[in-house]
Amino acid sequence: MLSEPGHYDYMPWRRRPKITWPNGARIAFWVAPNIEHYELDPPPNARRMPWTRPQPDVLGYSWRDYGNRVGFWRMADVMARHGVRGSVSLNVAVCDHYPEIIERCCELDWELFSHGTYNTRYFYGMNEDQQRAVIRENRETIKRASGQALDGWLTPAISNDETTQHLLAEEGIKYTLDMLHDDQPTPIKVRGGHLISIPYSLEINDVPLLVMRNTPPDRFAAICKAQFDQLYEEGAESGTVMCMPLHPFLIGQPHRISALDDVLRHVVRHDKVWLATGREIAAWYTEHHLAEAQSWIAAGTP
Amino acid sequence: MKGLPEDYLNYPLRRRGMDHAIYHFRALPNAKPVMWPNGARVAVCIAVHMGHFPMDMPLKPFIAPGGMERPYPSYWDYTLRDYGNRIGVYRLMKSLGARGLPATALLSAVLARRYPVLMDDLAAAQWEITCAGMNMGRLHHSGVPLEDERATVQEAAALLRQRFGDAVRGWHSPAHSESSHTLSLVAEAGFSFTTGWANDDMPYVMTTDAGRLISMPLSQDLSDQRMLHQQHLPTKDFTKAILDAYETLDREAQETGAGRLLVVPITPWLMGVPHRIRAFNAMLDGIMARGSIWPATMGEIAAHWQAQHDAATA
Repeated sequence: MLSEPGHYDYMPWRRRPKITWPNGARIAFWVAPNIEHYELDPPPNARRMPWTRPQPDVLGYSWRDYGNRVGFWRMADVMARHGVRGSVSLNVAVCDHYPEIIERCCELDWELFSHGTYNTRYFYGMNEDQQRAVIRENRETIKRASGQALDGWLTPAISNDETTQHLLAEEGIKYTLDMLHDDQPTPIKVRGGHLISIPYSLEINDVPLLVMRNTPPDRFAAICKAQFDQLYEEGAESGTVMCMPLHPFLIGQPHRISALDDVLRHVVRHDKVWLATGREIAAWYTEHHLAEAQSWIAAGTP
Repeated sequence: MKGLPEDYLNYPLRRRGMDHAIYHFRALPNAKPVMWPNGARVAVCIAVHMGHFPMDMPLKPFIAPGGMERPYPSYWDYTLRDYGNRIGVYRLMKSLGARGLPATALLSAVLARRYPVLMDDLAAAQWEITCAGMNMGRLHHSGVPLEDERATVQEAAALLRQRFGDAVRGWHSPAHSESSHTLSLVAEAGFSFTTGWANDDMPYVMTTDAGRLISMPLSQDLSDQRMLHQQHLPTKDFTKAILDAYETLDREAQETGAGRLLVVPITPWLMGVPHRIRAFNAMLDGIMARGSIWPATMGEIAAHWQAQHDAATA
């Protein structure tokens, strides 16, 4: 067993080489809707059971299914109204099950990246060939369904195993979201190829907040705005990243959707915000800042 | 029906005072009054839990708060805690530094080896370093053989003293975990105070096989780990609780003429995240606004209390 991921070096939140975003923005703000399918009758995994109740878990299944039937459409409309694009953390089987959803994402110019095939197929215990096969198949499916290249990755339920990041790099994935160690992009150390991490979030993610921490919608909005305000302020010194991960089955409920509206209205009101996608942030950082970060680390973060 | 063994209703330690010999009972109203420097009413100590949580930490006999809760390898849990030592702690340093407030780090000793740059920055900020064991996976409990536990305490102390020298005077057992030997081993390793027993507002004396330790208060009830991480309360419930505690202690100090002590336990991966740091700043400003505080490190407070205690009992 590993005592740490071993994929990144220590980088104190001080003295870092300055990050600048396009047009003098202080913060790169991106929204990552998790568009998922949880199977009604998935196979078991030794490290995690997909459902808490015996299958079929009708309550759990139908709650999540609501996201694709109702929540997604409501959420997408609110985002479009504020001119905020999504970077979709996509269970790519959604391309086969619900092409209507992919069509709407493409119409809105959203990025699609992979969140595995189904949210009920964990990477725990997969051998390297199996992981590689999923990554390749996901790439082909996204290409076929949308014409897009696959640049980003979030392992379903963050169930990555010890070697997953290495395989992502070898398969040409450009950015990973499996690590939550920073408020800026960072280099990722892999055995071959290139990979960076860009900030995702479990702090202002609707699943931990709304489900695990019992947060009412108005407090959810207040927390997201507080997160933005601080990172916007710190971005005056060096560019920061804020990701707002969403799950349509939660945020797209009628009693919560106004919280999203509230947060996005707050964000777009600021002038030094780069409304970006994951791919755009990764490309900009890789082109303009990656080498400098690596040199600073090599020099001992002086 | 057979019932329970006959000795189940024997009470050999039923007597006045404690059911152990570690310290004496002391009712707060009967404690000898302590005077803080410049007549300050409340000594304030910011205690920062700086733990390192190994991804392969043992899950038995229990998991430290913040430990790995998800299946191995939990990047989720590991990287969110590590965020505190990369970023959160720097936000706290900035907040405290801007207000001239000292802090006491309860530090996993392995961090001295892992993050030497962070150690330099803590030293530059003049934070007091106390030893919180090796890491959050190496807990102290009755299932650990005595010699193993002794080696853990000695190794942790040595790691921090190599970097910070004899200034490392305080011990905090990770996750408030102790065996019945821990306090003796801590005294044997040359520590002068320990913090983790949550049974008093004020310092008191503990007696061990290896000599005396000052026990410094450290609440779990009133901590961000309990209120924010375990109970999922809103941030403002925690910061308001701290301010309410402060108000009560300040009033008691005024009424009794005896100094009081507020230890504020905070955690970089909790209070140091962007959406909470402003609430932390407002809390600090709230404490400072009332006046008559003595902001100090835990070691300074322990030494000051001990000097008065010893003079009174000489």
